[in-house]
Amino acid sequence: MNINRRGFFKVMGAAGATAMTPAAGARAWESAAPPDAFGCLVDLTRCIGCRKCEEACNRVNGLPAPEISFDDPTVLDTRRRPHEKSYTVVNRYFPGTLDTHDQLVPTFVKLQCMHCQDPACASACIVGALTKKENGSVYYDVGKCIGCRYCMVACPFEIPAYEYHDPVTPRVMKCTFCFERISKENGLPGCAQICPVEAITFGRRDTVMALAKQRLKDNPGKYVNHIYGEKEVGGTSWIYISSEPFEDLGFPSLPDRPTPKLAETIQHGLFSYLWSPILLFGVLGGIMRRNEKKNVHGKDKEARHDA
Amino acid sequence: MIRKIMVWAGVVMLGACLCSAEVWKAPDQEKAKERAKELVPFVDAVKDDCKVLRRVCLLDKGIDIKDVETTYFHLESPIIKAREDHYGPVRFAHKRHAALIGDCTACHHYRPKDESMSETTRCSACHQEAFKADNPQRLGLKAAFHQQCMACHKQEAKGPVNCTGCHLKNVPDHKELVKLPDDADPFQVTAECRRCHDAQAEDMLTTAHWLWKGPSPFTVKHRKDIQHGKGTTALNNY
Repeated sequence: MNINRRGFFKVMGAAGATAMTPAAGARAWESAAPPDAFGCLVDLTRCIGCRKCEEACNRVNGLPAPEISFDDPTVLDTRRRPHEKSYTVVNRYFPGTLDTHDQLVPTFVKLQCMHCQDPACASACIVGALTKKENGSVYYDVGKCIGCRYCMVACPFEIPAYEYHDPVTPRVMKCTFCFERISKENGLPGCAQICPVEAITFGRRDTVMALAKQRLKDNPGKYVNHIYGEKEVGGTSWIYISSEPFEDLGFPSLPDRPTPKLAETIQHGLFSYLWSPILLFGVLGGIMRRNEKKNVHGKDKEARHDA
Repeated sequence: MIRKIMVWAGVVMLGACLCSAEVWKAPDQEKAKERAKELVPFVDAVKDDCKVLRRVCLLDKGIDIKDVETTYFHLESPIIKAREDHYGPVRFAHKRHAALIGDCTACHHYRPKDESMSETTRCSACHQEAFKADNPQRLGLKAAFHQQCMACHKQEAKGPVNCTGCHLKNVPDHKELVKLPDDADPFQVTAECRRCHDAQAEDMLTTAHWLWKGPSPFTVKHRKDIQHGKGTTALNNY
């Protein structure tokens, strides 16, 4: 077969274009958020910092007993993060508002897995141990986990924790959204069920989102005009409303773009219809063939010269 | 002589106790318990009156403290117990609160849309199960109680705002918890109690129960005695 340089580029260019045209159309990144998932609305103006949610979480998930009792309010003096022995923690913040007695008004913030609509942890997981379930929970399957801890790096909220103390069967530990409980009829997450003041409202995500918007509308001036988790990283199943700015309460400022979007777009784009390997090996093949030709011509010249 | 009289008095009282088969029960307590068990039909629609209108409405109808029928409530419900059960009921002095606040609308903030229903319905008519899918903005009964009581107690800087200020904790079954040998001696028993109740034991050591002396603010004619008790001035009667 006789092919010159120009001919080669023509063929490869056409092949590349045909491979890419349907790829760009069909493989555009789409959110895989379940349509009718559950969600929770946390109203920070209601939370009284009683830590009953921590206690209930500990009980329903069979987690080890804490070092300091759940009844001890001094725990709130330090900032805590969820860790491998507690899926949720309540922190106290003093954003600076004073009450009528010139005392600082505390705001309590419950922290747990946000159960993102498009979770970065599930996208980063190379074995599919983390998945977004139909009911909205980001579910961890310990049987699949290989302990690479990519999820911990990927999570924009820095939630997953790891059982470093257990060298034989360590697990990634994070809030389960009480997957088994909410899968049952009328089941509630442990924290939402025990909360004495309904600071946590459990329901379909659409329902609690509408409820959050209604509360903002019905109480002008009470809340900051922001529903945290409505758009952050493409939306989360747990959403928050507050009377204090979220940046004063330890909430990270995150873009609206779903975390997995960029990485998945690049990766899926590169490998759709295997166009990139085909192109790569095609180019390499072309270069080889060209070099071979050159060598043949060179040898011919040498042979002639010898003769 | 005194000892003889006391022994006889003891015998007579014991006999009296055994004879009276019926144990006396506080009638209002029993009534409150029964009332707390009742379930009433759910009121879906409420009349959307503002606070002022609501007060005017009650004033027009002449409803005030004299109309309070029930003096005493147990704030609990099977609706709450079905979900979580960690604390005993709150014993709520309804009439006393009504008299102190002098404004029924502080708690009876809305009325049912149905005009035939009472102006001051009970809390559990409107507030029942939490997170009803078709009525998500309506508070559940537990949250309604807590938000109402605690908000007012905080605002008035009066009344308890912590859990055990209003509730008694449910006492867990100690049969499972207490681990003692069959022939335990008193020291073992005390040590076993202190395994969980160490703080309480430490506290007890500073009280008159242990020291047999101390201030007695409640003893008539001895209110200012700081060294009063069995260890000092009081009679050791046993």
